Amino acid sequence: MSVEQLIPIIIAIPLVVGIINGIYGRNLSKKIAGSIATIAVFASFFLALTVFFQLDESVRINLFTIMKLENFSLNAGLLVDNLSIWMVLIITGVGALIHLFSMGYMSHDEGYYKFFTYLNLFIFAMLILVLGSNYFMLFFGWEGVGICSYLLIGFHYSDAQKGMLNGLAARKAFIMNRVGDLGLLIGLFLILAHFGTLEYTELYKKVIADSIPLNAPFIVGITICLFIGATGKSAQIPLFTWLPDAMAGPTPVSALIHAATMVTAGIFLVVRSNFMFDYAPITQDIMLYIGLATSIVAAFIAMRQNDIKKVLAYSTVSQLGLLFVALGMGAYTAAMFHVTTHAFFKALLFLGSGSVIHAMSDEQDIRKMGGLKKYIPTTHFTFLIGTLAISGFPLLSGFYSKDEILGHAFEHSPMIYFILMLSVTMTALYMFRMYFIVFHGKFRGTHDQEHHLHESPKNMTIPLVILAVLSVFGGILNLPGIFLKKGTHWMSNFFAHNTNGIKVVHEHMESGTTLALMVIAVLVCLGALAVSYVVYVKKSNLPVEDKDLKGWEKVSANKLYFDEIYHFLFVRPIEWLSIKGHQFIELFILNGIVNVSTKSIEMTGNLVKKMQTGKTDWYILWMVFGIVGFVIYYLLNF
Amino acid sequence: MEILLIPFLFALIALVVPSNFMRQFSLVGSLVSLVAACIRVSSFDSTKFEAITSEHVTNFGLTFKMGYDGMSLFMIILTNVITFLILLSNYNRELSSNRTFTSLVFFMQAALLGVFASFDGLLFYIFWELTLIPVFLIALWFGAPGNKAALMKFFIYTFVGSLAMLLSLFAIKSSAASFSHADLMAVELTAKSAYWIFGGFFIAFAIKIPLFPFHMWQPDTYTTSPMAGTMLLSALMLKMALYGMIRWMIPLAPEALAEMTYPVVVLGIIGVVYAGVLAIKQNDIKRLFAFASISHVGLIAAGAVLINHDNWTAVFIQMGNHSLVAVGLFLAADIIEQRSGKRTLSDLGGIAKVAPRFAFMFGALVLASISVPLSSGFIGEFLLLKGVFSYNWMIGAIAGTTLIVGAVYTLRAYQLSMYGAPKPAPFADLRPNEWLAFLIIMLLIVSFGVFPQSIINFVGPSVNNLIESINNTLVN
Repeated sequence: MSVEQLIPIIIAIPLVVGIINGIYGRNLSKKIAGSIATIAVFASFFLALTVFFQLDESVRINLFTIMKLENFSLNAGLLVDNLSIWMVLIITGVGALIHLFSMGYMSHDEGYYKFFTYLNLFIFAMLILVLGSNYFMLFFGWEGVGICSYLLIGFHYSDAQKGMLNGLAARKAFIMNRVGDLGLLIGLFLILAHFGTLEYTELYKKVIADSIPLNAPFIVGITICLFIGATGKSAQIPLFTWLPDAMAGPTPVSALIHAATMVTAGIFLVVRSNFMFDYAPITQDIMLYIGLATSIVAAFIAMRQNDIKKVLAYSTVSQLGLLFVALGMGAYTAAMFHVTTHAFFKALLFLGSGSVIHAMSDEQDIRKMGGLKKYIPTTHFTFLIGTLAISGFPLLSGFYSKDEILGHAFEHSPMIYFILMLSVTMTALYMFRMYFIVFHGKFRGTHDQEHHLHESPKNMTIPLVILAVLSVFGGILNLPGIFLKKGTHWMSNFFAHNTNGIKVVHEHMESGTTLALMVIAVLVCLGALAVSYVVYVKKSNLPVEDKDLKGWEKVSANKLYFDEIYHFLFVRPIEWLSIKGHQFIELFILNGIVNVSTKSIEMTGNLVKKMQTGKTDWYILWMVFGIVGFVIYYLLNF
Repeated sequence: MEILLIPFLFALIALVVPSNFMRQFSLVGSLVSLVAACIRVSSFDSTKFEAITSEHVTNFGLTFKMGYDGMSLFMIILTNVITFLILLSNYNRELSSNRTFTSLVFFMQAALLGVFASFDGLLFYIFWELTLIPVFLIALWFGAPGNKAALMKFFIYTFVGSLAMLLSLFAIKSSAASFSHADLMAVELTAKSAYWIFGGFFIAFAIKIPLFPFHMWQPDTYTTSPMAGTMLLSALMLKMALYGMIRWMIPLAPEALAEMTYPVVVLGIIGVVYAGVLAIKQNDIKRLFAFASISHVGLIAAGAVLINHDNWTAVFIQMGNHSLVAVGLFLAADIIEQRSGKRTLSDLGGIAKVAPRFAFMFGALVLASISVPLSSGFIGEFLLLKGVFSYNWMIGAIAGTTLIVGAVYTLRAYQLSMYGAPKPAPFADLRPNEWLAFLIIMLLIVSFGVFPQSIINFVGPSVNNLIESINNTLVN
């Protein structure tokens, strides 16, 4: 089948199966409901693979016209190029593995069919987001994944203790995302106002044809608005605090939505719009510094978190920051490379943590774990690979992808490189800390938990193994040119082949410098490994109770007080406005005016009433007053 | 003619139907009207005006001119669909077997259809006033006890507004041949008299919608009326005013637009933000939805004065969306109130667990009301925000905060009532009629969300005709 036929099918499968599950799911057995959902995503993945192998030039597909107005029309169009098909492979590939994992992980849950409905709908919305041929389709998917994320974070809303809290986390995520969405929407309106089209391809032609001066106000405005949208979805400062809270959702959701796919939508948006960002160096700089700050701040917070998922969440925020640094430097292909490897190892780590939580009877506090490596060997081994990959252990995927960004950073400015290295070092430190505390030492949980400890079933461990293999070998996709002559930079060339605006950008450093940077990265990783081993295994220092923390550890454990500050700056004033606005403006002023006017009518009525006495002499007197009044008026006017 | 007469006939028959047949009768009655309107659609050319009365001019200028174009027919069908939905939602309530109540609903429907089909200014005014009587009586006789003060306010407010409109009508008639729409449009006004005429209409419409700061009657009236009354007010009655802006206020006094667009847009958007912020901390779920309604319609009103094809089409899309969502949300609020005896969010919670069907439908509606993709609100809000943004980007950006604020109050209301551990008191899940009402609403919302073009094709040509004739009078 041709690409034109395959792509709509790829999108439709998860939608149709999602709807089937949503309607009939309650009558299906768990096994069937989960299986059809999983098979659907696998099917989409394999179809996407065939598209991937036959795609050469970018293809545009027009499905139907959503609306056609006088000055404005919208097409439900799809754009298949190497960028979008690559995203489709990540979404459906990692998504399929996570669906498989969920079949085991959610097996004790009542809302099983609902869970898979939401997951499938998420995949559908995400596919629309990346495959749409214009910004409206992107916005459609963008809002769609936001809703699915909301539904999945708050999935356990009826829980007696945590139901309301889960709901609150979901709402926070949705609302913070909507702040970003508003930015994106305004960006869309600005694009429409200046270029008159939302179609990527036409827009690209127009942008290239117009000789836009660098940093022209409108292009800076557009790119900044798009970037604001990206900070919402991709959890950057100042809109990042929803992502750690989103861990209230079931762990596969965290893996799929809040690590591998949805949070990279912001990266995708910038890469898709790269040709506009190139004209706005100011925005690129802003992006770079926001990313840098986010990367450092999140890594710092992750240092002293004790919830296994929170550590990973902050790690995700930090890695996304790293990606925005890359985007800020215009290193789009490097960013896409890291998006890919990050999807592998972060999904792996999240699913691994899910397997740990499953084994620990829903315990998430790493202080209550310990020594798990002998109870759950497969989970342990794959988790170790994930940890090594994200820490940049030599020859694993994270090593290559991170190194490429670091290389660009060094070339851009050694200062940025240095700060980024700080973040990388902290990443290695907190990851190894968590790994050692969870899997080494003595078991510290309750007897019940120890009794229940078990390795997860096959449908949970197989995805772990596959993701582990990808995390190890993912680096091959974009090998640096330093050791090899051939087969390098496959991915950069791949994206540059038919994606609007993307060019291959290599760092132009001497091989000696490159080698030196690599050695430094390796030393940092190994150093962090050694330090963590000594502290947490040899000396078996364990994290202390929250109240005993001091100094920077306390600040880190309290997440730099971001939530408290936001609460003080935004939540409380708006609630105050809502309450006082109701009391003061609504009831006192507006209602007051209404009451005063009714009162005054009443008073006038009372006054007039007094004149109607029924006595003729008074009436004659009023008449005389009236006549005199008229006469005076007449005289005064002449 | 039959589309107007059928509901009126049913209103009369309802008075003598035995009360144990009343529910079935009311559904059949509303369906007959709907079918009659749909038959009209099948032979309808959306570019043309279709007369339903023969025109004859009385000596004071009343022409009895009635008919429909695309915009009118859209509103007629909307009225009939919503009336059916209201009666369907009401099916298992006590009121459904009450003769007077059913008769009043049909009477209301007939008056509303008259408003939308009138192409004569005086006739429009008469039907406009006529709608007030049934909805007032429904609220008075069947509403919460002790709502007299609220209703008095409602009545005086809307009555004052109507008087202002009547004055405007007479003022413009003084230089026109008759009250017919075309004659009134042809009148050339000086800028100054245009302001007065525009202003008179505006006060009537702003009170009915209601726009900030003319909304003082609305929250109390919405909360103390019976469910059907609230639905009639929010889903249909306020649409008369939005429709009136497009059909009467602007075409009759377009000379005032140059100066008046800005203040109306600003008032609309202030309402969007103000009512949205106030809704955040409301504890009474009906009151919360009342403020939400003010917030949503503020944006539609702003779109109505930004005269161009795209914006006006968007106004119609969003009017349909808002009617459907309003019926659904007030049905949900009523279900909560009826079954748990409470309306205050702080006393509610945990309903989702015991009433999953209700939770699903209410949830879907909540999502529709915050304009998620696949819902008609997504399209309508996108187009309206685009329109306001291209008029003035700063106001557009402020209006856009409805995306955020709307999510805050709507989700809060949903979560506080539905999430958490179930309360010990029983809560029956949806009854079949409620389920069907929700289902129809959702299906319509989704189909317009995916194929907004169906509405665009329906109202688009007549929107174009009207704009063209407005431009013609402005040029001459």
